[in-house]
This record gives sequence, C-alpha cells and structure tokens, in this order.
Amino acid sequence: MSRPKWAWRIDRWLIRRAARSAPAPLSARLEEEWLADLAARSGALSRLRFAIGCCWATRIIAYEHEPSRAPVISSVVADKTLVPYTDPNHGFLSLRSSTFCLVVSLHALLLYGFITALSHTRGTATPDPLQTQDLKNPTPHELPLPLPAPHLKDLNIEVPLPDTHLAYEPDPSNDLTTQIAKEPSQPSPAQPVPAHVTKQVQGGPGAGFPNPDDYYPERSRLVDEQGIATVNVCVDAKGRLTSDPTTLQSAGSPRLDEAALKLARAGSGHYRASTEDGQPVASCYPFRIRFQLKN
Amino acid sequence: MGKQTGNVRMSLQTLKVLELFLENPTEQLSGAELYQRSGIASGTLYPILMRLESAGWFVSKWESIDPSSAGRPRRRLYRLTLTGLKRASEVFASFNPRVLA
Repeated sequence: MSRPKWAWRIDRWLIRRAARSAPAPLSARLEEEWLADLAARSGALSRLRFAIGCCWATRIIAYEHEPSRAPVISSVVADKTLVPYTDPNHGFLSLRSSTFCLVVSLHALLLYGFITALSHTRGTATPDPLQTQDLKNPTPHELPLPLPAPHLKDLNIEVPLPDTHLAYEPDPSNDLTTQIAKEPSQPSPAQPVPAHVTKQVQGGPGAGFPNPDDYYPERSRLVDEQGIATVNVCVDAKGRLTSDPTTLQSAGSPRLDEAALKLARAGSGHYRASTEDGQPVASCYPFRIRFQLKN
Repeated sequence: MGKQTGNVRMSLQTLKVLELFLENPTEQLSGAELYQRSGIASGTLYPILMRLESAGWFVSKWESIDPSSAGRPRRRLYRLTLTGLKRASEVFASFNPRVLA
C-alpha cells in the first residue's frame, strides 16, 4: 500500500520546520540528517512519530545551545575545547521545580474541587426541571364570588334535648351560687369587707353524657326497683373527673347506687365545669340521677 | 534523574546509546540505526547525540555515498572518540549492570 503524497509532505514539512527552529549552525545539518533518517523509516505512523519527535528534539537542542544557559564550568578533553553542556535544571526556578509546583497545584485544585462539590451537593435535592406549557388562548381566570357575611344574630341553633325521661337534678342544698351570694351579707365585725359578688354557676352533666338507661341494672328492672341517687363528683375545668365519685344519698337500692357511680365515672369528660364569672373552674358538686322505668 | 559525569548528564536513554556504541566501539551508527536498535524516540535520541558530540564523546560525519546511485540520501554517522570510549567505560564501571537490564 503506497503512502499518500500529502502524508509525505506533512512529515517533511514538520522536519523542515523543526530544523529551522534549531540554532543556525545546526539547522542545515539537522534538516538533511533528519530527512535522511526519515527516509529509512517504514510506515506512515512511524514517520509521523519521527517527525513530531524531531520537533520536540529541536526545542531541547535549541534550549541547550542557548548561550545564557551555558554553565560556568567548561572542560578540555583530548585537547579540544568543548561546548559547555547546558543543564536545563539550573536557575532560580528550574524546569523540574516548575513541573513539581504545577503538579502540586493541580492536585490541590482537584482536591479543593472535590471538597467543595461534595459539601454543596450534600443534603441538597436536585430541583425538577421546570415544565412550561404554552397557552395559545389563555382564558381569563374568574375569581369566585365572595361569600356573604354570616348573620349570626339570625342564626337559630336548636340543641336537641336528650331523649330520656331520667333527669339530672342539681342538689339545691349544695348550691354554690346561693352560698357565695349569702356570704357578703354576713360581714365579719372585725374586718368589714366590701361586698364582692362572684357569679358562680354550678356544673352538671353536659353534652355526650351517658344515658342512664344503659346503666340500669337488669335485676332492678326485673324487680321494678326505682329511685334517685345523689352523687358528688369533682371535675376540672375541662369536665373531667379529678376524683372518684361518691354517693351522697342512696337511691334505696345498692344496685342502683352502684349503677349511679358507674354512670358518673363513665361520664368523665362530658361534665359541664362550674364557672366563676363565666370562666370554667375546677369544682365539686352533687347531682341527682333518677332511675325510673318507663312502663 | 541523571548522573552527571564530566559535562554529560547520564540518563537511562544516554546509557543505552553508549551501550550500543560500546558493543563495537569502531562502528559508525546513524540516528535511524540507533532508533532501530534502542527504540529511543527521535525527540530524545537526537538531543542525546548532540549532547555527547558537544562533550567530545562522539564525532559525526556524513556518509560517503552517492545519493543518486544509492537511491537514498546520505546519513549522518556517529562514532565514539577515544575520550568517549574511556569515559563511557568508566561510567558503566561505576553503574550496577542491572540498571540496564
């Protein structure tokens, strides 16, 4: 397979160019020498490598023949003054030192890049690509009509009363409102205190309180036991029992009394707390539980 | 990298070139032949030859042929000088032979 002419031309052009870059006394010699050695090479790639190598060689030769880089010491060998050999590694910053600094700098740069890249990517999520859609005929966005203002005064809320004939009746003998209202009317003679009436309202069973029918003892139904038990409970401001309820007045049957206590315990969280000046407070109060058969 | 001997820095490639000449000190070798025997690339080989010639270890001359009758251009031939032979021998004597193995 014959070598193309353009490849020959490239090789020869490279060698001529390299030889012309060499020091003037060596230029013609190197050109003829390298062209002759090029002709001895076989293979396009080998010739190209040779030509490129000559380009590199001429740079080294020119560097070593540079007068400013000539060493101070010269020697005489066989009665002949030698052209001093040039050490490319002399001077303030030699070629070796420059290369070393360059390599160290590149390593430091790479290390810094790795560290900063890791610190930036850690804990950050890649945002999804923004997806856009071109609307050719955009329709105007219609805002919803504002809602009418609520008329709270006209609102009539009817709370259904529990469908039971068993009522809880507060104990009138233990009416806190009554007691506190009476206290200012009997001031102590030693320390007259101006009357300060605190409006207290006693609590009682509230919404969601269990139905007494569910706790009516079956045996009491069979023997037609009926009665009213008065139970005392202590509840906090949220209507939860703070202590175990106690029976103040028996319904006339231990079964009914026990059922009343169970009902009072089950109603924890559904009591209405007593209020003082409208604020719910923790308190203890009695209320009645009536067990009465419908038929 | 290299060992400085006289005014010539000794590198592994330089030692290989000198070794080729020491095998037959009277032989004259061109750059192409040196490449074929040592495998040293032209970018390294020719600076070494110029260096050794400048130091007086080598002498070079043009091949005495007629290019038209030989069908090829004349080559530059290198040969060891007596000084080069002596100094090269000293260098190899100071080096461990395994360096070139």
